[in-house]
Amino acid sequence: MARAGVFICHCGSNIASVIDVEQVAKSAEQMTGVVYAATNKYACSISGQEMMKQAIIDHQLDRLVIASCTPRMHETTFRKMLGKTSVNPYMLEVANIREQCSWVHTDKEKATAKAIDLVRMSLAKVLKNQPLFTSSIPVCKKCLVIGGGIAGIQAALDIADGGYEVTLVEREPSLGGKMVMLDKTFPTLDCSACISTPKMAEVGAHPRIKLMSSCEVSAVSGYIGNFEVTIKQNPRYVDHDICTGCGLCEEKCPTKLKSSFDQGLGQRKAIYKLFPQAVPAKPVIDAQHCTKLTKDKCGVCAKVCPLGCINFADQESYTTDTFGAIILATGYQLIDWGSHYPEYGGGAYADVISGLQFERLVNASGPTEGKIKRPSDGAQPKSVAIIKCVGSRDVAKAHGYCSRACCMYAAKHAHQTIEKIAGAQVYIFYIDVRTPGKAYEEFYDRTREDGAVYIRGRVSKIYEENGKLICKGEDTLIGKQVTVEVDLVVLETAMEPAANSGQTAALAGVSADKDGWLTEAHPKLRPVETQSAGVFLCGTAQGPKDIPDTVAQASAAAAKVLGLLAKDELETSPMISAVDTSKCSGCRFCEQVCPVKAISMIDIPSIYNGQKVKRTVAQVNSGLCSGCGACSAACRTGCIDLLGFTNKQILEEVDALWQ
Amino acid sequence: MTDIQNILRERAHALLDEGKIACFIGWGATRFNERAMPKFIFKAEESSSLVYNEHCLNTLAKYTLDFQYGAEKVGLATRGCEARAINRLIADGRLSRDKVYLLGIPCQGMLEHGKPADKCVFCRHRNPVVYDELLGEKTIELQNPPRFESVLELENKSDTERYDFWQKQFAKCIRCYACRNVCPACNCLECYTEQYRTGWQGKQANTLENSVFGFTRAYHIGDRCIECGECERICPMEIPLMKVNRKLVKDVEELFGVEESGLSEDEIHALGSYNKEDLEEFM
Repeated sequence: MARAGVFICHCGSNIASVIDVEQVAKSAEQMTGVVYAATNKYACSISGQEMMKQAIIDHQLDRLVIASCTPRMHETTFRKMLGKTSVNPYMLEVANIREQCSWVHTDKEKATAKAIDLVRMSLAKVLKNQPLFTSSIPVCKKCLVIGGGIAGIQAALDIADGGYEVTLVEREPSLGGKMVMLDKTFPTLDCSACISTPKMAEVGAHPRIKLMSSCEVSAVSGYIGNFEVTIKQNPRYVDHDICTGCGLCEEKCPTKLKSSFDQGLGQRKAIYKLFPQAVPAKPVIDAQHCTKLTKDKCGVCAKVCPLGCINFADQESYTTDTFGAIILATGYQLIDWGSHYPEYGGGAYADVISGLQFERLVNASGPTEGKIKRPSDGAQPKSVAIIKCVGSRDVAKAHGYCSRACCMYAAKHAHQTIEKIAGAQVYIFYIDVRTPGKAYEEFYDRTREDGAVYIRGRVSKIYEENGKLICKGEDTLIGKQVTVEVDLVVLETAMEPAANSGQTAALAGVSADKDGWLTEAHPKLRPVETQSAGVFLCGTAQGPKDIPDTVAQASAAAAKVLGLLAKDELETSPMISAVDTSKCSGCRFCEQVCPVKAISMIDIPSIYNGQKVKRTVAQVNSGLCSGCGACSAACRTGCIDLLGFTNKQILEEVDALWQ
Repeated sequence: MTDIQNILRERAHALLDEGKIACFIGWGATRFNERAMPKFIFKAEESSSLVYNEHCLNTLAKYTLDFQYGAEKVGLATRGCEARAINRLIADGRLSRDKVYLLGIPCQGMLEHGKPADKCVFCRHRNPVVYDELLGEKTIELQNPPRFESVLELENKSDTERYDFWQKQFAKCIRCYACRNVCPACNCLECYTEQYRTGWQGKQANTLENSVFGFTRAYHIGDRCIECGECERICPMEIPLMKVNRKLVKDVEELFGVEESGLSEDEIHALGSYNKEDLEEFM
């Protein structure tokens, strides 16, 4: 005979002000299976828990119904409490009489009656509960970091410094991401490369970090603590094991191309290092443009290489490794503004450039050695227009979201222009100026004091006239059309998720929002976790942000990973699907509907028509199953049940409503 | 048809004789001229008792399940409906293709009570969609038979009228489960209707739960029905089961763009797959 205890929480006045909790307790006491019912001011408090623990002893309770707030709030608290008693933690049902009753009703009488119904339903369910037990899975003490920008670098260093092995996968031939392209960082104006290249070098030299450049993740299987990851090594055509990075090949290569690192403003060779401080500091061949690979002509690099590192027959290769955790730090790219803004010339005017191009122009190691020159004629611009929110906050043309960093780097660009070009006139077109960061507002103030002219309004058209660029827009503060004539226009363009970041995340079971930013498990309380256990995210892959936020988030993700890898074994939730193999037909419906690929098929010995046969049935991977119940709903035979939410329990719960 | 009957006998004889199959499933004569019945041939010399005429109403594919674990193959007379049923069984993980040898038959449609059979007049695949060898020339398919006509008629009725219609129809149901037994999509090892005290449906026949059974079965096969019409043909109470099946086939076509089921053995089930891009209009 079941001995259920029912506890009704007042939640201060949250529940008790609308629901007559004593009445609910009195009614509960009359219900079949209940041996004790009581109320409590705060069931979740230490004293509340002690009171329930004592009641379990005094009344020999074997299961509990706690009528309180939503189970999402305190179910874990109560389970932990039961863990210290004779009652199995899963012999508990939480009736939500706060969010789904007291908070949404005002009629006390009806709310009380509803609370009694809710308690009766939970009681009906708990009477069918079975004790469940957690199991444990071993943890592979290695982390995979996808993306070698500042987020991935920081996370990898933190984890490796914490004592665990890290593999860092980067698609480009070098670490660094976007940060290393920047000139100065706001608001302190310290040199971006100077503060990021030491970290890159540290990654390259770290004994516990395996750096895999020119690599991509091609498949992920497994589950938290035990991910099997296949990594594709794209051909580099240079044997990095032998190459010393002497640079002779790069010097002699006759093919000159636009440098993607310099945003098309500078040049590089067909065999190249991404930039001088690249890590690894060894070149790769651009297969699309190398004349040896495309036309079988040249081969100079192979001739000059003193060590014979060049291998034109290099092929892509695959390696598989096991990891306990994965960090997604896939970063961002800038919007292809030309296709969205034909009114800005759509890319036809050489002197309308993006913010990142400006970073390269103003960068001492950039194509102009830090001199701001117009791309069209190399002349020094005397007037510059900076246009913010190009692609951001513009639902009609591109994205609705704010790219967060542009207000600050626009101010920085204005400051740098005024600083480098004496007497330069800078106009900044803006919608709002958002400077929520330490010393950000002060930086913006300083830029205005420097003489930058802020004009509130979007630019509606840019065209060329007499060698000048004309920006037409409206100053919405005075309600008048403005036209400015400038030598150079800098568009502070929107951040977008990096190409293929969604596909890479999907491999690890992580979804993206409507704009493609990867989705965190909870926007406030679980900002670096994802819905896929053991997979974390950080940096701009999750949404636009600046460097300080990116680094902070990377360290946060690393802390989460360190917490995970510090465990030898992980407890898995026992509220997962279970297959009654005696009924399973092996139709694979459950396998197909499972969003986390937790179901696979297995052959089991069986008797069919008097024959001994091997029959195919479904099996659930307890490490992967998230307990969503999709399989249980899909199974026609009803041979899959979700433990803790069995069909029987739910039907009893529903039936109780009619009693 | 006599031609096909002759080749069928010949080929079944040869296959059994060569030991390629352990059994051949076709049709045999009954004591009624206008009826044929399923026939299982185990010996080559029995092949002459196979018949193929306009009375071969039974869709035979489901019988192959009895041989699914055997060491040897089973031969099957395979028209459009059998072929799609075979694909159904394979897609549902109940049969493996190498367990069957399919003698394809281009079908001209069967007769029932002297008229073209209901199950055949709306058929869109008279030629088998899968076979190992085809007996005779391919036949011309019916061009857009109006298979959703009766569905449209029902759709145009009011909710109450529809409810009353089905309650009246299912009131006749004697829960003999013949529809389920004959259905190639109803291929579960143990049907939920056989389970004791599931909580949602009892085993006894009563008016309310009859319609629960009828509609649950319809939903269970909703995206997998191959429209062979066997359920309706077999129903002793003449419940127009294909009306509800075709309604679901039509809905699946309109909502998921999956036109017909059973056309290939690795088809994706419209209701049994997970896709992040699926519309969630109801959310």
